[in-house]
Amino acid sequence: MQDNAHILQDQVQQAITEQQPLSIRGGNSKAFYGFTVQENVLDTTGHSGIIEYEPTELVLRARAGTPLSEIEALLEQHQQMLGCEPPYFSPTATLGGVVAAGLSGPSRPYRASIQDTVLGCTILNGQAQILGFGGKVMKNVAGYDVSRLMAGSMGCLGIILDVTLKVIPSSKAEKTFVFSIEPEQSLAFINDLRKRGLPLSASCHLSGQLMVRFSAGIKEIAGLENRLTEHYSFIDWIESDDQAFWDNLREHKLPFFDQASTLWRLSLPADADISALADNPEDVLTEWGGCLHWLKTTKPAGEIFKHAAANNGQATLFRYPLKEPPVSIFQPLEPPLAQWHKTLKAAFDPLSIFNPGKMYAKTE
Amino acid sequence: MADPIIREALVSALRKILDAQFILSTQEQLKPFECDGLSVYKALPMVAVLPGSVGEVQEIVRLCHRLKVPLVTRGAGTGLSAGAKPDPDGLLLVMTRLSNILDINSATQTARLQPGVRNLAISEAVKQHGLFYAPDPSSQIACSIGGNIAENAGGVHCLKYGLTVHNVLQVSGFTMAGDPITIGNGGLDNAGLNLLPLIIGSEGMLMVVTEITVKLLPLPNQVEVILAAFDSIEKAGQAVSNIIAQGVIPGGLEMMDNNAIRAAEDDAQAGYPRDAAAILLIEIDGSPVNVSEQLQSTHKVLQDSGVSSVKIAKTDAEKALFWKGRKSAFPAVGRLSPDYYCMDGTIPRKSLAEVLGYIHTLSEQYGFPVANVFHAGDGNLHPLILFDANQPGQLESVEAMGAKILEKCIEVGGTITGEHGVGLEKIRQMPLQFSDEEINQFHGIKAALDPDNLLNPGKNIPLLKHCQEYRALAKNLRPNQLLIQHEATA
Repeated sequence: MQDNAHILQDQVQQAITEQQPLSIRGGNSKAFYGFTVQENVLDTTGHSGIIEYEPTELVLRARAGTPLSEIEALLEQHQQMLGCEPPYFSPTATLGGVVAAGLSGPSRPYRASIQDTVLGCTILNGQAQILGFGGKVMKNVAGYDVSRLMAGSMGCLGIILDVTLKVIPSSKAEKTFVFSIEPEQSLAFINDLRKRGLPLSASCHLSGQLMVRFSAGIKEIAGLENRLTEHYSFIDWIESDDQAFWDNLREHKLPFFDQASTLWRLSLPADADISALADNPEDVLTEWGGCLHWLKTTKPAGEIFKHAAANNGQATLFRYPLKEPPVSIFQPLEPPLAQWHKTLKAAFDPLSIFNPGKMYAKTE
Repeated sequence: MADPIIREALVSALRKILDAQFILSTQEQLKPFECDGLSVYKALPMVAVLPGSVGEVQEIVRLCHRLKVPLVTRGAGTGLSAGAKPDPDGLLLVMTRLSNILDINSATQTARLQPGVRNLAISEAVKQHGLFYAPDPSSQIACSIGGNIAENAGGVHCLKYGLTVHNVLQVSGFTMAGDPITIGNGGLDNAGLNLLPLIIGSEGMLMVVTEITVKLLPLPNQVEVILAAFDSIEKAGQAVSNIIAQGVIPGGLEMMDNNAIRAAEDDAQAGYPRDAAAILLIEIDGSPVNVSEQLQSTHKVLQDSGVSSVKIAKTDAEKALFWKGRKSAFPAVGRLSPDYYCMDGTIPRKSLAEVLGYIHTLSEQYGFPVANVFHAGDGNLHPLILFDANQPGQLESVEAMGAKILEKCIEVGGTITGEHGVGLEKIRQMPLQFSDEEINQFHGIKAALDPDNLLNPGKNIPLLKHCQEYRALAKNLRPNQLLIQHEATA
């Protein structure tokens, strides 16, 4: 546990003086995500430690280099959790990397996203200034919301030094059920479950089966089977004892996520149809009540981006064979929005020191 | 005063865009738009327009950009920080005619809205689908979703269901140059930078919003409301922390002190105990089994926290009555005194008892009664300081007292504004919460998206040259400007 903020500040100051861009690295768990930045590495892992944790406030503040595992272990001791269930992709994952990557896990539609979880942060901007935004209270509308802007910014606007997070009570009980149901019927079924007040906390559709996780109090979970029988006797379903399924889904350790395939991540409205993009139905895994699709395909990027845009969503090339560096990874932006990305980048990092080209060609 | 030549040129150009009846330029026409819900800040705009289509909005924005005329966007005018105060040299863009619900999608549980749709109208329209829109500011009967976007509006239920920023998927509109821009999409993730939180709560200073897609939630199957009375404010504050600590996140968790209780009871006859030092209103919602479990555990926590009495509403009418008292508390307090001064700080929950005790001490020290009505679960305070502005010297004393309360909020780790926004009202407190470098970064964001500084100029972020002055004034306990609210709505 160490406060290295001023060491990092000196490193940024030196980079500014030398006009030497930096590749920001935490636990290096998500190096595959986004374009590779071939610059001097600035390692944040030394800037580590939980600064403040108030279980009754539902607030935790930690330095960027703090391992996610350390944070989750502490929360677990107090029957609390991060609502966004962020993926690790390696045991070395750090809080700073989790926030910068902006990826949320299976519970995202029902509990929170990573940006919903951020209450405040301290950053180093491209002028080597240490700046604090947001705070440790749930409601805070003083100034622009820079803290949540940092979630998913891929280190392109500044170095995250520490983050204050909203945490939530863990559910006292959980159970997973597997329903035999086709993808086109899943959405109506999930909506029906929710309207009946059943406590969904995750869903995953793959190969004709819909896995649904329910999280709530002990009595409610104990009574779930009776309620399902009462309402859904016409659907084949079984109770699953595979509690590791959701961790494996989050960490891409299910057999579906074979590392050899090119993997796309499509974030779309829940009623969007992506069957036209899939060569066969087994190449699609759908989470988030129909809002997130993982797609294995070799179709051209342009076709996938076009399909995502036509459905008012977005696509990301999540993993790709290293020998074929792609032209685009993230959904292309419309010109005014692309322009805002450039001007905002310049407002935070005028010399383009941080992660140049990590998201879009040299504009971020 | 606006330059009559520029005004004439602007009006003449506007006539080519929209019907003359929707262009207001005489003093009589403009008077109703001189202020928002914080009426001490007033100015007549050079001209006000009420566009009836998105195309008209775009042409108006382009015109202002071409003529370099400041543009202030106004929703329903219920804001409480003067964020929609007109610019005397600018155009006031009034969005009330853009009030259509464009689409309700019960499959995706979303609604597409024009900015003038009233907050409550959303939940009313989607109720038939078993859905509701969660953020519910107290002014929800009148305030519009466009204004909610500008202020990142909260409300009674945001402890559990989040603020506006947590419940919006997409906003579309125009940059100050008049270029169409869309932030977010129909899915749950942004492409590129996560700009929705930057726009939501930006007080109309970064873009003009003409369409919003909100998330809807299934209506809870069961709702219960508990009225818990305490013989001390400290016990009530501690009970709030204890409820959260046991793992229950209530749908709503509100607190009122004795002055507010008596005022509300006189007004609404809600069944509040007049002799209680404080009451908590606790709403538990969810499935019947969950609600039953949480009611039991909350009841036990209240007993352990030294509650004097507990009532659980037995009928829907009684639930509505419990809430009616809370919702009418502001106007009810307004009847106790000629004027009151409303604060909007937020503090960590654990500091509730300390800060309330501090406010009580200040109240005795300064001789002004204070009624406390607030969102206790979020630690969002709305102390109302009662005074009479016609009595010489009272206003100055109230200003000093208010400043002390806001400084205390910052001292315990809170913020100067939880949900009312900075606008003009709290612009002098911004340098107490932010350093010059941080404020400069805010200016950098503004310049990046609105390089000519035409969108709602002068609000939200103070000029750096004034920051030192404001900090020095704060030390001398004279930082605040006049804040009198006669008919507060939140």
